[in-house]
Amino acid sequence: MTSEAEPIITARGLRKKLGGREILHGLDFDIPAGRIYGLVGHNGAGKTTTLNAILGLTSCEGSIRVLGEDPFARRAQLMRNVAFISDVASLPRFLRVRELLTLVANIHPSFDQAKARQLLEGTDIRMQARVKELSKGMVAQLHLAVVMAIDAKLLVLDEPTLGLDITYRKRFYRRLLEDYMTEERTLLITTHQVDEIEFMLSDIMFMRDGDLILHMQMEAVNEKFSQLLISDATQKEPARALGPVFEETRFGQTVMVFDGVDRQALSAFGQVSTPTVSDLFVALMERPTSPRGEA
Amino acid sequence: MKSMLALIKREYIEHRGAFVIAPLILTALVFGAILLGFTVGRVDVRFSGSVFQLSPTLIYERAFLVLGFAWSLYLAGALFFYGAGSFSADSRNNAMLFWKSMPVSDLRIMVAKFIAGLTVLPASILGFALLSGLLVLTVMSVTMAMTGAAIGSVLPMLLSGFGKVAAALALAMVTQLLWYLPVLALVSAMATLVGRWAVPVTALVPLMVSILEWVAFGGLSPFHTASWAYLSSRLETLLPESYLEQWFIDESASFSLGRFTSELLMQIDWAQMLVGWLLAAVLVYAASEYRRRYVLT
Repeated sequence: MTSEAEPIITARGLRKKLGGREILHGLDFDIPAGRIYGLVGHNGAGKTTTLNAILGLTSCEGSIRVLGEDPFARRAQLMRNVAFISDVASLPRFLRVRELLTLVANIHPSFDQAKARQLLEGTDIRMQARVKELSKGMVAQLHLAVVMAIDAKLLVLDEPTLGLDITYRKRFYRRLLEDYMTEERTLLITTHQVDEIEFMLSDIMFMRDGDLILHMQMEAVNEKFSQLLISDATQKEPARALGPVFEETRFGQTVMVFDGVDRQALSAFGQVSTPTVSDLFVALMERPTSPRGEA
Repeated sequence: MKSMLALIKREYIEHRGAFVIAPLILTALVFGAILLGFTVGRVDVRFSGSVFQLSPTLIYERAFLVLGFAWSLYLAGALFFYGAGSFSADSRNNAMLFWKSMPVSDLRIMVAKFIAGLTVLPASILGFALLSGLLVLTVMSVTMAMTGAAIGSVLPMLLSGFGKVAAALALAMVTQLLWYLPVLALVSAMATLVGRWAVPVTALVPLMVSILEWVAFGGLSPFHTASWAYLSSRLETLLPESYLEQWFIDESASFSLGRFTSELLMQIDWAQMLVGWLLAAVLVYAASEYRRRYVLT
């Protein structure tokens, strides 16, 4: 059992080797309960491997505890309190929707079939339809309904909206936020469409080449990082003297991202704002690697 | 228990094509053939022609038993492909991560697949075998009645024959299943490793073992090794052959369930049976551990 003060996930020195190559370089992090985490990184950065370690799908060196359990040793028990979507296309295609709901109800002690049916009301998904007959968006809706009907403490979503159009993606996240999230639940999500989930995140983690290069609350991100838009070319050099972590030119204007520089000082050179998560991600991915484990 | 039953039911739903729909079509074809045989005069329903000097009961028992063994052959083939298909189906259907998101262990899922292959699916085929027997009986009775034969005195004997042969088929299916348990486990475990390639790979395993023994210890050929002899004896069909040969030749004897049963049970090497069960358990456990540790998609 975990006390309220205890993190829901704790990782220490998490390492993973595949084919002789180390793809996780000793990650250390804690994820407290009741937060919405975004895990962002390039393809191959180690996001899915980290999620797999959290979900008990792969073994790793180091230590990882989820809800106080070793996930790899006790995955089946852990799944009573953890739900995840790793691929929206992973629902069994041969089942009818009603068969799927009945099956999950018989397998999962925390699944509420009535709630799942209620969540599907108002959608085009018929109970008699086979999963393979549904469109990709409908399968995503169905999978989300199944997951949302599970009374889990931790929900992990790995690219849950991959391949879906913008309408379905927006509906997916809105529904998740409005109908599922409570203070007791923790959500950990990875997606490449990071701008679409920025509004709901409480914390952000950036991964690069198997390292965690950023791990902080969104409020802290807003305080720590600043974006400077310079229209006057003569201001570029003095601004550069303040040590931007990233610089690029957009439509003839220069954009710089600063880490821990006073906004008042920056405002003398141009327009200061908070970078979006995607801008910050691009900026930090370009920055030279920070010492391992420093996040 | 509830989750185990749900998982077994899921196997039934996933594989009902091979175990319900295809047998249903086959039964319809068999029924059509029987109906045609009786209606176009291929079968002398009066049982008084030169070909059939046998009593209707003896003909019926033989026909039903042959049909039953045909269904057993279908079951053997279907189960072999079921093992290869079901143990790799979650990967093939891209549903592995869904099942891993459920609070059931990989071992429980594999055991459910294996139990389904030993219970629900064979029971379905046995059901179709019995249905075929009943259809033959019905067509026989109706056509005999239509031609004025004394069906009232024959029907009880036909029903008795149905009961005896049905019991013999059920017993034969159960013993064969238990005897070939390690073969089903082997193809299933192989499927976890290599997917549907498990079918040819499993077929090659006895040969590979014999070749290895031959290379290591010598001998006339890989087919003259101890392992080949053992595997050949282990793969022999369990049937009371001497009784069946005698019964088929003897045109007056009714089917004896007692003799069929006693000779069948006496053939079984119970120590080998136990070894087979243990091997099957080890193979299913090893397959589940492989799936738990290495299979993600």
